[in-house]
Amino acid sequence: MIYKKDANFPYPILTNTTTAYMNPYFSLDVRLEENTNAYRFLLDYEVGSTFINNLIQKNQATVIFIIQSKDTRFVKLTPNQSYIDIEKSRISLNKRTSIQLQIQTNEEIGFTNNDDLTSFYEPFKNEIMLSKNKLLGFSNVVIFEGSIQQPLVLFEKKLNENLTSDIKVELGTETIILHYKKAEFQFNGMRNSRNFNTPYLYIGLQKALQNFVSECGRDEGAVDLTHCDVPETGLDYKLYNLMVKKMITEISNENIDEVISLISEKMIEKYSMAVRELDQNGD
Amino acid sequence: MEIRLLAKGYKNNVQFYEDFLEDKIIGNEDYFSEEYVTITDIPNFPFYMGKESGEGRNKAFLEAFQIIAKYYILTDRELHLDERFWHSLLVTKKRDYILEKYPAVKEGFSEFKKIVIKNFDWENYIYKCVLAAEYIEDIGENEIEKSHLYQLVLDNLDVYNYIIKYPIFRNAEFVVKILMIIDELNISKIMKANIKNRPDLGKDTRYGRQVIYELNKNYPIVMAPMMEKEDLKKEVLKALSYYYDISSIGRELVSIN
Repeated sequence: MIYKKDANFPYPILTNTTTAYMNPYFSLDVRLEENTNAYRFLLDYEVGSTFINNLIQKNQATVIFIIQSKDTRFVKLTPNQSYIDIEKSRISLNKRTSIQLQIQTNEEIGFTNNDDLTSFYEPFKNEIMLSKNKLLGFSNVVIFEGSIQQPLVLFEKKLNENLTSDIKVELGTETIILHYKKAEFQFNGMRNSRNFNTPYLYIGLQKALQNFVSECGRDEGAVDLTHCDVPETGLDYKLYNLMVKKMITEISNENIDEVISLISEKMIEKYSMAVRELDQNGD
Repeated sequence: MEIRLLAKGYKNNVQFYEDFLEDKIIGNEDYFSEEYVTITDIPNFPFYMGKESGEGRNKAFLEAFQIIAKYYILTDRELHLDERFWHSLLVTKKRDYILEKYPAVKEGFSEFKKIVIKNFDWENYIYKCVLAAEYIEDIGENEIEKSHLYQLVLDNLDVYNYIIKYPIFRNAEFVVKILMIIDELNISKIMKANIKNRPDLGKDTRYGRQVIYELNKNYPIVMAPMMEKEDLKKEVLKALSYYYDISSIGRELVSIN
């Protein structure tokens, strides 16, 4: 399992925020590469304690790679291992995926020679004795947003001549999908076609945000973005990030239009300019 | 074989169910998305064991394990752990098989939801079988060991179900280790038995579930999901000892204290 908050331990643990170690860092960075058959997780990690690093090198402790998506996988790393390959038939990154490193003892470890602890532990560190399989530290959590295929794309446009309406807005798992009955409705080939689609984008955003409020707000009609659980699903997670990045702290059915104007990069202004331009040049 | 994926919204659509019965799904664009997936072979396998018991149930599970292991889990996991893929496959390619094998779907929409478009989680039989097949195919050393492990899943289905409910325990090594430990200690009967005279534990509490519950509670102080088998065995016995007099189980008791 992955720790998102500081857990309470009866002995000092190395984390990025602990006050027990003088250099409180156990940082992890992960890059993803892939070929047809496998994902490769390239690991870049640093342990801020010489004591623990020595345990790892001497195999008295092991770094464990933990990846949690649909299920959880634990991989014990050899001391200088820098990547892990996992077959695509055995891991799905479609949903949100969390990765963390933990360090665990392989045998009984005394802390007498642990000179990396803060002075608070000096008087009694020789009494700290960890048995086998105990946690020595855990890193930050690296999250893949479950949107490998479409990392930033919020909208998808589709043409569907069989639609029973002229346009249909559908909320997909990763994107807002705009279905058009006729190609003309997309203004393809026209200058500024992107901006002419603004009204549809607006409707799409409105629908997605209303859905966000009802999914994340649990009937309260409002979501406090600073305290709510980070949404798990792709589209809501993208919207959440977008809003947080724009410093929006609350979204409710009341302020959806305000939120749209804050997150939509002057969408309406650009639309209005495009129409004006057309009017000036047009027939 | 190309499978066209259903568009969202089918799960609570009674019309969709009626159209399924009348064979009117294929050809109705409203029900489909623009997405396709391709898979080489899609043989039939039993995918609903909710009404079976005893030998019939075991046989159905074993057949599902084998076929899923051979044909389905080789695809990208995005596919075979995707609810929409399985629902689309069943509805568009397995209609005849379903009507023949699970005629209960004709009784009503709720039966159809329970059997064909069941949520894809630990309660879904395909999900259970996919995970078991992945875990055992990857860890089992040979065919004899694999079939022994599959049998252990069936003999300990209650514990298996309970394990795969927990995200931290839902992993290959842990599932296989626990099954082997139950086998080695010969405690399968105990693990699936109801705990009596403990109303504080809630209804229908079983020893096996309480053991997993204790391991979950003690994590991360006790790192159960990644322990070596012998270390984990001690933790299992210790957890069991809170609820059961384990002195009859054997010498292992000596080593836990």
